[in-house]
Amino acid sequence: MNEDFISISWVQLLIALSLVSVSGILSIYYKLKLEKDLAIGVVRSFAQLLTMGYLLKILFGLNSAVFVMALYLVMTLFSVNIIHGRVKEKNVSYLLPTGLAVMFSYSLVTILVTRVVIGAQPWWEPQYFISIGGMVAGNSMNSLALSLERFFSELKSRRDEVEMLLCHGADYKEATAEIFRDALRAGMIPAINSLMGVGLVFLPGMMTGQILAGADPEEAVRYQIVVMFMLVASTALSSIIVLQLVRKRCFSGAMILLTGKKK
Amino acid sequence: MSIPLQGELAGEAPVLEFKNVFFSWPGGKGLSDVSFAVPAGQFVLISGPSGAGKSTLLRLAVRLEEASQGNIFLSGKSLKSYYPPELRAKIGFVQQTPTVLPGSVRDNLLLPFTLNVRKGEAAPSDKVLLQWLGRLGLADVELDSDAYGLSVGQRQRLCLIRSVLPKPLAICLDEPTSALDLESRERVEEIAEELAAEGITVFMVNHTGYYPGCPHMHLTVYEGKVEVL
Repeated sequence: MNEDFISISWVQLLIALSLVSVSGILSIYYKLKLEKDLAIGVVRSFAQLLTMGYLLKILFGLNSAVFVMALYLVMTLFSVNIIHGRVKEKNVSYLLPTGLAVMFSYSLVTILVTRVVIGAQPWWEPQYFISIGGMVAGNSMNSLALSLERFFSELKSRRDEVEMLLCHGADYKEATAEIFRDALRAGMIPAINSLMGVGLVFLPGMMTGQILAGADPEEAVRYQIVVMFMLVASTALSSIIVLQLVRKRCFSGAMILLTGKKK
Repeated sequence: MSIPLQGELAGEAPVLEFKNVFFSWPGGKGLSDVSFAVPAGQFVLISGPSGAGKSTLLRLAVRLEEASQGNIFLSGKSLKSYYPPELRAKIGFVQQTPTVLPGSVRDNLLLPFTLNVRKGEAAPSDKVLLQWLGRLGLADVELDSDAYGLSVGQRQRLCLIRSVLPKPLAICLDEPTSALDLESRERVEEIAEELAAEGITVFMVNHTGYYPGCPHMHLTVYEGKVEVL
């Protein structure tokens, strides 16, 4: 690490905390009722990041594939849990398909990047695997939640259209083709917007972090390009898999739409 | 009440038959012990107050809902024995709210022929489409015009034509004239009777109970019970 790197003390962390209190004050003043969520969010981010920091320190020392995979599994399961909390759908069970899609797509993209693109030896080297896996999980989680939320809300608001198509003999795939496309688009737009704006509108966190830590900016940029492309792949792959699995569950065996009943 | 099953009396399988069918919505309303049979080519009027279960009856017939007890048969075969898209290709359903998709009037009319279930079937020509539009008082509607530009009444008639074009065995019309003026309503009712004469069994829901023509069969739905008049 570069000698110019300035480390952050506990006191400086507490000063940063005052930045969140601005949001808290605004929430109270405008009666947004977000104070509780903000407080929980602050405590959670402190606790989660500190725990992860210590875990990574231990993992780097252990040099064990089993522990790396266990931590990766916990991270992905938490991402499934967060998606489940954000998507409001009671009639269709989507937890298992989400879990399967997340496991498959996150793992495929993460292993491809660490093993093939970066060429880490071994491929599960925690420094790379957990960092890359974390970025894949974090970004794809948002896309998945967006895709699922859009899919379920469109199914409800366009129920008459879906049933009209079913009544003409459409199967469940034909009846939801347009809604499927809309939901997929909704999930992929943030990743595509990032491709458009990166380097012009914003400097991504990973690249900035590397530069702040003293890495060569050119090296940081190369890593960032890999990360951007892998995020596009993982969001597309995970959204397609989850929507394919979930849309089948929105219908019974008799191809009756199960969600958004009027009566 | 025990209702004679007309198909059985005639000695041939009825087009549609309900045998001791029960259904209930989560709120408790539904249908209770419904039995009737309708031979081919009948014009069946279904009436009853709002919320009595008329639409539910039609939704059960096209298997958009599943009966909790009893059996429903189409041409002597249980609905459950059909692959759902094939079943729905045989028995058309025009919803209470006319639904059109983005695109031209032609695109909407030919929609059933774009589905896998009708792969290989020839789509009707523009001449046939225009004849149907004329029959239903839509002669001034162009095939290339935007379907979203149609009024509710025009959409209702477009949906009726769309369901009839593939020549189903039977067609269920859920209040197809609710947004029409008297002249257009009479025209739709005439067409429904003509379709029955051509051999397509027609089920038409009419919540007012008033019908100027002469249906072959009249089902009344009241508090979940169905009676044949």
